[in-house]
Amino acid sequence: MTTPGAPASGPLIQVEALTRAFFVGGEEVRALRGVSFGIQRGEWVAIIGQSGSGKSTLMNVLGCLDTPTSGRYMLNGKDVSRMDDDDLAVIRNVEIGFIFQTFQLLPRETALANVELPLVYRGMAAKERRERAKAALDKVQLTHRMHHRPNELSGGQRQRVAIARALVSEPSMLLADEPTGNLDSATGEEIVKLFEQLHQAGHTLVLVTHEPKLAARCPRAIRLSDGEIIADGPGPEVALGGTGVLPPKVGHA
Amino acid sequence: MKFGQGFRVDVLEGARIAVYSLRANRMRTVLTTLGIGIGVATLLAIVGIIQGLNTSFEKQLSTLGANTIYVSKFPWMIKGNWWVFRNRKNLTLEQVAQLRQQADFITAISPAVLRTSDVAHGAQQVSNVRVNGVWSDYLTIGNYEVVSGRFLTRADEEVNRPVAVIGAEVAATLFPSFSPLGQTVRIDGRPFQVVGTLARKGKVVSENMDLSVFLPFKTFNATFGKGRPMQIAIAVADAGKIHQAEDQLVGILRRVRSTPPGQPDDFSINRPDTLAATYEQLTGALYAVATGVGLITLLVGGIGIMNIMLVSVRERTREIGVRRALGARRRTIILQFLMEASSVSAVGGLLGTTVGLGTAKLVSLVTPLAADVRPGTVLGGVAFSALVGLLFGIWPAARAARLDPVEALRYE
Repeated sequence: MTTPGAPASGPLIQVEALTRAFFVGGEEVRALRGVSFGIQRGEWVAIIGQSGSGKSTLMNVLGCLDTPTSGRYMLNGKDVSRMDDDDLAVIRNVEIGFIFQTFQLLPRETALANVELPLVYRGMAAKERRERAKAALDKVQLTHRMHHRPNELSGGQRQRVAIARALVSEPSMLLADEPTGNLDSATGEEIVKLFEQLHQAGHTLVLVTHEPKLAARCPRAIRLSDGEIIADGPGPEVALGGTGVLPPKVGHA
Repeated sequence: MKFGQGFRVDVLEGARIAVYSLRANRMRTVLTTLGIGIGVATLLAIVGIIQGLNTSFEKQLSTLGANTIYVSKFPWMIKGNWWVFRNRKNLTLEQVAQLRQQADFITAISPAVLRTSDVAHGAQQVSNVRVNGVWSDYLTIGNYEVVSGRFLTRADEEVNRPVAVIGAEVAATLFPSFSPLGQTVRIDGRPFQVVGTLARKGKVVSENMDLSVFLPFKTFNATFGKGRPMQIAIAVADAGKIHQAEDQLVGILRRVRSTPPGQPDDFSINRPDTLAATYEQLTGALYAVATGVGLITLLVGGIGIMNIMLVSVRERTREIGVRRALGARRRTIILQFLMEASSVSAVGGLLGTTVGLGTAKLVSLVTPLAADVRPGTVLGGVAFSALVGLLFGIWPAARAARLDPVEALRYE
């Protein structure tokens, strides 16, 4: 399966001179200070950095949960940096599949209903929704648990339900935030293997983490520090502290 | 951009979530609902009972006739000091005669005196019978109908005959199996011959009009003494000219009773329709107060809904974050919580409507008050509660929709 989406050419993600400032107690905190990079379709990229490096802010902007203070963010040929709230909701639904550290499943709904949710907001008929959700659960080998609620599932199973939920809407990219952070190492490894399979199947994966070990598994990694990119290159190299091949800096003070 | 998410989806999904979360928090829902329910129940019970009161009162008064005037010392509804009325001069037969001569609108006129007595025939006895001393004209004025025999005549009056016309209830009790005509009844021990019986008339306010006996005015006074205050009953030709009739009547009476100019009337003009108006004024005030109380209860219930919805929004902050991340728009979230609030309230309204109507019905069964419960009330009650829920749900729902998805997802 290949990633869906209209324009097949050009990078899937192109960010230019992205900044994001917050005002905390009257003081300006610049979480992103001019970040530029591109991600091609089918790439698997890790974004790594210490806490406070700006990687969470970058993830929120890439996930269209937040908008940049300045700069441009092109996603799948659309400028999403200036969209309003409603349009962003649509973009999140169509283009992005979220995978969270804490899974973020709705506790009162079954696995199947959780996976169906993105399709509900797309206005899809119940029958088609159900079939697609089952197919997505099949990809993560969880069809036998689909009528269970999250509290009846193990951590690894919950994360697989979350991955199925991210896959079900056939988004342009999967955006994972510390996906193994709440799992033991064996279960975490299962999830990473699942990501490898998804990558091989052609999905675009963006993985935000602070763990160098996890970043080393990715073909490409971008390291952030103090809101700036300090390294961009092959995962194993950047994970070990290399700088990779940095693009020329834009809008840097 | 083509996107299938429309209002219909929002509503369907909102309803589904609402039902789901209501079921999940059953106890809480029931308790919250109780507030709205009590408000609606109070309102409906009060409205039902008062509407019932008014309807039955109007129906009763209409049997008294729209074209009748009763002149007496006391007004039917006393406002102010009772002694003022007590000390007025009695009305006299002389004044009745003057009115008959001078007023050009009168079709029937009769003096009327009243006492409450026991009426007996053989071993049978009826207590608390209204015994009236009247002229023959009273049949028309009082809007009675003779079913057997005759009413009192002018001859009965002139020669002081010991005859009686009896009401339907008296007749039925004393003469269950044979005609009362020609029989003798004893009123407080005095014998009277029954010459006629009246048709059933029902109750006016709390007075049973069928528990009456009519004697010639003169006979009444000769038998029971002259001291009691007299009422003058008058029928007017045209109900539309009753106000002119009343004015003329007041003028004649003031002259005849030599009331000094500038002094208030020392008699009262009573009309069934003004009684109805006074009565409605009275219940109207009651109605307003009761409705106010009901609305305040409903307001309290609404605040309860608002409170529980705020709790619900807080509890589900992360859920809201997740839904937003997966593509829910703000208005979808608003709708979800509005539907939740209004369905909680609608359930409460249904409960309250049932209880309220039940109460009104119960009141009408165990008391003489007739509750008037209209069929649209249930639907109205439910719809009204849902509206209250909707109103009080707006703020919590707006708060839910305003949540920043990033913050909401991080909420512990």
